[in-house]
Amino acid sequence: MSTSATVQPARWPGGAFLRRLASSPALRVSGRRLLSAIPVLWGVTLLAFLVMNALPGDAASALLGINATKAEIRAFSIKLHLNEPLWTRYGHWLAGVVTGNLGTSLASPQSVASILGQRLPVTLELVLFALIITLVVSVPVSVLCARRPGGVVDRLSLVLSMGSISIAPYVLALLAVIVFCVKWSVFPAIGYVPLSQGIGGNLHTMTLPSIILAVPLIGFYIRFLRADLVEQMQAEDYIVTARAKGVSEWRVLTRHALRNSFIGLLTVIGLNLATLIGATVIVEDIFSLPGIGYELLNAISNRNVPVVEGIVLVFGIAVVLANLLTDLLYGVLDPRIRHVRSRS
Amino acid sequence: MSVPAANVLTTASTVPAAEVAGAGPGARGWLRSAEITIPGGIIVLLLFFCFIWPLVYPVPKPIGGSLLQVNLPLFAPGHIFGTDDVGNDIMSRILYGGRVSFEVAAGVQVIGLVVGGLLGMAAAYRGGWIEAVLMRILDVFIAFPSLVLVLAIADSLGPSEMHVIWALSAFSIPAFARVARAATLRLRDQPFVVAARLSGTKAWRIMFQHLVPNMAPQLLTFSLLGAGITILLEGGLDFLGYGIPPPTASWGNMIATGQQFISVYPDLVLVPSFFLLLTCICLNMMGDGLRARWGVR
Repeated sequence: MSTSATVQPARWPGGAFLRRLASSPALRVSGRRLLSAIPVLWGVTLLAFLVMNALPGDAASALLGINATKAEIRAFSIKLHLNEPLWTRYGHWLAGVVTGNLGTSLASPQSVASILGQRLPVTLELVLFALIITLVVSVPVSVLCARRPGGVVDRLSLVLSMGSISIAPYVLALLAVIVFCVKWSVFPAIGYVPLSQGIGGNLHTMTLPSIILAVPLIGFYIRFLRADLVEQMQAEDYIVTARAKGVSEWRVLTRHALRNSFIGLLTVIGLNLATLIGATVIVEDIFSLPGIGYELLNAISNRNVPVVEGIVLVFGIAVVLANLLTDLLYGVLDPRIRHVRSRS
Repeated sequence: MSVPAANVLTTASTVPAAEVAGAGPGARGWLRSAEITIPGGIIVLLLFFCFIWPLVYPVPKPIGGSLLQVNLPLFAPGHIFGTDDVGNDIMSRILYGGRVSFEVAAGVQVIGLVVGGLLGMAAAYRGGWIEAVLMRILDVFIAFPSLVLVLAIADSLGPSEMHVIWALSAFSIPAFARVARAATLRLRDQPFVVAARLSGTKAWRIMFQHLVPNMAPQLLTFSLLGAGITILLEGGLDFLGYGIPPPTASWGNMIATGQQFISVYPDLVLVPSFFLLLTCICLNMMGDGLRARWGVR
C-alpha cells in the first residue's frame, strides 16, 4: 500500500499535487469533521421524527380542522401515508433525503426544498444583518473599554451590556414596536419586502428585527472581548515586547491585542450561531417575517412532519458548518494552531 | 482555581442555585463585596415576597378579580401596581408569577446539575466508548434547534408548570454535561486525583470526594447564569402560548396578555417586564461576581 503511494507520483506528476492536497491539514480536518457530522445529523432528524410523532393529533386532523368527519380524516391520512408504521415512514423519508429529495409538504403540493428556498434567505439575511450590527457595535466599544479599564466608558458599557443580556427579546421587541413603529413610525411594525424589490424597502423592514436580535449578542460580545483584551494587556509577553519597542498604547491595543482576541471571538460566534438561529423564531413571529422560524411554528402546529424535518436538517447543517468554519479559520488566524495541527 | 478555596464551598454545593445569596452562615467574609451581596440581597427579597409574604399578609387573590375594578392605574388604593384587564391585582399576580419563574428556574437548574453533571463527569472520567457515544448524543442535542424540542414537549404534554420544567431541562442537561465533562478532563490527570487513584480509592469516591468539590464553583456559577436564561426562556414559552396557561399568573403570560393593550395601558407590560429584567440582572451579576471571586473561567 505504502510502496504504491510512493511510486505513483514519480510516474504521474499530477499525483504529487493530489497527494499534497490530500495531506493538507485543513482538508483533512474538514473531511473528518464532515464525516463525524453525519451520525449527528442523522440523530437530529431521528429525534425530530420521534418528537413529532409523540405529539397528540396528526397532520390529517390538524389540516382538515374540527369540522371534518372521522371518515374524511381517515381517507386523508391514508392519502398522506400516515397510516403506515413509524419506521416505514422514517425509512421512506430517509431514503428520499439520501437521494436528495426532501419530500413534499403535507399541507400543500409544494416540495419541502422549494419552501426552504423561499424561507431560508429571509432568516439568513436576518442572522447576517444581526451579526454585522453586533460586530460593528461591540468591537469598537470593547476596545474603548479596554483602553481605560474602570473608566467612565468602561463602567457605562458594563452596566448597559449587563442590561442588554438580561432583557427578554420579546419585551425589547414590544417596547421597540411601541417607540419606533407606533409613536415615531420610523419602521413598519410588521411586513416584509424581499431584497429583489429594492434594497431600501428591504432594509426598512429588516432593520428593527435585526437590531432586536443583535442587542443581547452585543452585550455578550462586549463583555467577552473587553475581558479578553484587558487580560492580554496585563499579562502577555508580546504586549510587553510591543510596548518595549515603543509602539503606542493605542496601536498595541488594536494591532496586537485585538487581533489575538479575534480567535476567541470566532469561537463565541460559532457557538452562538445555533442560539441565534433559534432566537429568530420569536423575532420572526413578532414581526411576521416569512422566515424559516415562522414556517417552523406553523409546521409544528400543523404536524407537517416533512417540513419540520427539512427545517431541522437545515438548522443542524448550519450548526455543523459554522463549527467547521470556526475550526478552519482558527488556523488562518493563529499560525501556532496551524503548525501543531499539520504535525499531528 | 485553588483547591482549598474550592473545598470551603463543598457545603454550599447542595444548596439550590437561587438561594446561594451570600447570606448564609459562614459567608461573613463575602459580605464585604457589594457586587455579590446587592444582587443577592435583591434575589432574597424577591424570594421572600414571592413565597413567604402571601402566607403572612392578606395579599389579594391573583385570579378572580372584580370586573368593577378593571385597569386601575399604578398606586391605586389597595392595588399598588393597579389591576389588569379583568380586574386582578397586578402586585399579587407578580408575586404568584414570580413563584412560577423561580420554581421553574430552580427545577431546571437542579435537574441539569444532577443529571447532566453526573453524566458528563462519569463519561469523562471513564473515557473510552461511553464518552464518545455520550458526546455524540450531546452533539445531537446541541445541533437540534432547542425550541422545536421545547415546543414539542410543551405541546405534547400539555401546558403546565411541571411540563415546562421538563421541556427546559432538555436545554440544561446537555449544557451541564458539557461543562462537567470539560472540568473533569481538566482535573482527571491532576496529581491529587492520580494519587487518590494510586492509593486504591474507588472511582465513585474519587468522583464525589475529589472531583465534585473541585468543580462545584464552576457548576454553581454556571447554574446562576443558566437560571437567568431559564427565566427568560420560560417567559418566551408563555409568550408563544406554550407555557403556563393564562388564568394562572406568570410573568411571561402577563406580558403576552398585556401586549394587546400596550398602547393604552403600557403598565400591564412594563411592570412584569421590570421584574423579569431585575431578576435576570441580579442572577447574572451574582453569577459574574462569584465567578470572578472564585477565579472560575
